[in-house]
Parts: sequence; structure tokens; C-alpha cells
Amino acid sequence: MPKCNISEAHVIDYVYGELEQTQTSDFENHLTTCNKCTRMVAGYNRVLRTVDEAENEFMPHVIVPRNLETKLYKRLADAQPEKTSLLTRLSNYFAKLHLVMHEQKIASVCIFSLAVIVVAFFVGNPFRPTADLTLNRTNSANARIEQYRHQDIQRNFEDVLRKKHLRNTDSWDTVSHLNRVKDQAQGTDWANIANNQLKRVHSEF
Amino acid sequence: MDKMIDDEMLVAQFKSGSQRAFDELMKRYQRKIFGYLLRSVRNYEDAEELTLEVFFKAYRALGSWEPKAKFSTWLYTIASNLSIDYHRAKARQPVYILEDEEAIETKLVATDISSNPEKQLEDKERGRLIREAVDELSAKQKTVFMLARYEGMQIKEVAETLGMAEGTVKIHLHRAIKKLQTLLRPLWENNEI
Repeated sequence: MPKCNISEAHVIDYVYGELEQTQTSDFENHLTTCNKCTRMVAGYNRVLRTVDEAENEFMPHVIVPRNLETKLYKRLADAQPEKTSLLTRLSNYFAKLHLVMHEQKIASVCIFSLAVIVVAFFVGNPFRPTADLTLNRTNSANARIEQYRHQDIQRNFEDVLRKKHLRNTDSWDTVSHLNRVKDQAQGTDWANIANNQLKRVHSEF
Repeated sequence: MDKMIDDEMLVAQFKSGSQRAFDELMKRYQRKIFGYLLRSVRNYEDAEELTLEVFFKAYRALGSWEPKAKFSTWLYTIASNLSIDYHRAKARQPVYILEDEEAIETKLVATDISSNPEKQLEDKERGRLIREAVDELSAKQKTVFMLARYEGMQIKEVAETLGMAEGTVKIHLHRAIKKLQTLLRPLWENNEI
């Protein structure tokens, strides 16, 4: 008969049903040829069977004591509140605070949104970019300056023509005035008009 | 309350303020926990007291309990720790006697008056000797043995309940069964059991 290398722990695992399926079948094959292991298995099973009988006789049915719940709640009511460390109390406080914040999150979001709408309605769009605002203001100012320049040219041109019509100036004065207006009106339509007037004055000489 | 609601759901309901959820949890587990503790301490009043203590501790700690394991495993952990403490306290006392066993049997076992009284006495004596052998185990060996044998737990669950490695549980179990074999052998040889 070959020497048996099976440990007692392995035998007890088998008795307790803790071996895997393949290990179990291997061990059962081994039992057919090993008297030592067969005796051990029988011995352990006898222990368990004997103890089971005694335990079952001791407690065939569990009869739970009456009013356990009532007794428990009475004990809870009588018990002093648990003493907690400062750290635990602080931790509980922050946990509660977090819970309240979490519960009121929706309300907070609604209030914030409403505030944004109110500000936008009464003050203007708070999200308008500042850079665009400056650009628009600059553009607006340049347009106004250009408009004043055109008005000034027009006024000077009308003044030249009025004086020429009333014959308050001579031809040289008129030419001189028209040249000044032409210089002033460089880059605008008024420059062409002034040029045409100059040609007419020269033709009248 | 719906019985299909799982324990973790009831714990969540209890955390949100439902007292009835705890009542339901207690209703589900009081029989098992009391039975486990009664086997362990062999004294009806002490088992009742320890069961109350288990649920008292559970009630107070449930608010901060995180479901890393099953609720039942957690309850058994509390019960096992209390049971181990109980046995250690008992072991420090000078005399250890099962003074209440008769009283328990009177409470728990319905007497069959038609059977042979002599045979009944013999059976009772035999049972008492075997249980005394079980009570000879160390607190941890007995706890491991009881959880594995009578609470239907696998080694892995016992390890989780007692916060031990599976290997340690196996060692306790092996030692328990070997010790029981040693303690029961004289009784078998003398034909007392």
C-alpha cells in the first residue's frame, strides 16, 4: 500500500464540505484504498454526529423570549446618550450641514437663477463682454467726428459759394477759399465738388 | 411590511427615520441570534440579555453602518464578540457550572410522558456530558464551531463574521474537532454515549 500524504486538515475540510468538487472526488477515490483516512473520516463524522444529537436534544425549537422589542426600546430610552469626542461631533455637524446643503441645492440654484434674471432685466446684460463695449464706443465717437468734419466742409463750401454769388469777394479770393476747402475735404466727395468749382472759376476768368 | 424587501433596504429606511424598518429587522433575526447565543452560553436568561445587547448595539451603531458585508454577518459579529466576552468573563469566575440547563430543558423540550423515564434520564445525562465537552472548547474554538456547524455558515462567512483569515478559522475548527474527539473518546470507550 502506498504511503498516505493526506493531511488531517484536508480530511477535516472534506468532512466540512469545504473541498472543491474535483478535490472531493479525488479524495473519495483515495478513501477506497486508504484505511487511515477512512478511519479519520469515520472518527470525525462520529464526533459531529454525536455533538449534533446532543445539541438538537438541547434545543429542538428556539422559543424566543417574549417582548424583546419592548425591552429593547425601554433599554434604549433608559440609556444615557452616547459620549462622543469633539472630533466625532464636528464630523457629525459637517455631515448634517452637507445633508442640508444637498437638500437645499435645488432651491439655491432657483434663487440664484432668479437673481441673475432680475439683474439682467434692470441693469442690462451682465454677461456682455467689456472689450466689445469699448470698441462700440470708439467706433461711435469716430463716426461722430467724421460727421462733424463733413458738416464743417459743407458749411465752408456754402460760405464760399454765397460770397461768390453776392460778389463779396474777387475771383482770387474765391479760388483761394475753394483750394482751402478742397484741402480740407481730401478723401471725401466734397473734394471733387470743390475741384469742379475751381475749374468753373478758372474758366470764368 | 413587505418581506421581500432586503435587509440593506430596511437599513436605508431606518437611517431615514423609519422605526418600523428596525422592528422588521429585529423580527427577522431575533430567533437566529437568540438561538445562536443560547447554544453558546447555555443559559436562557443570559442569552436573552445578550440578544438584547446585540440589538441595542446594532440600533445605536446602525446610523453609521456602511454595508460592506451583509447585515446578518454584522449582527453575528456583534453576537460573537459578546459571546466571546461572556465566556472569557465566565472563565475568570472560580466555578463554572451549568446550573440552568435543567431549567432550559424544562422550557424548551416538551416532555413526552409516554416514553420510558429511565431512558429519558440516561439520554439527558448523555446529552449533558457531550455539551460539557463542547463547552470545554476555548471561546474562539466554540464560536467558530457553532457558526460553522449550527448557523449554516461557510468557512468564508465565519471568517468575515469574526474578522479572521480563512486559514485561522480552519485552524480553530480543526483544533475544535480534534479536542472534541479527545474529550469524547473516554465516553465512547466507557459506553457512556
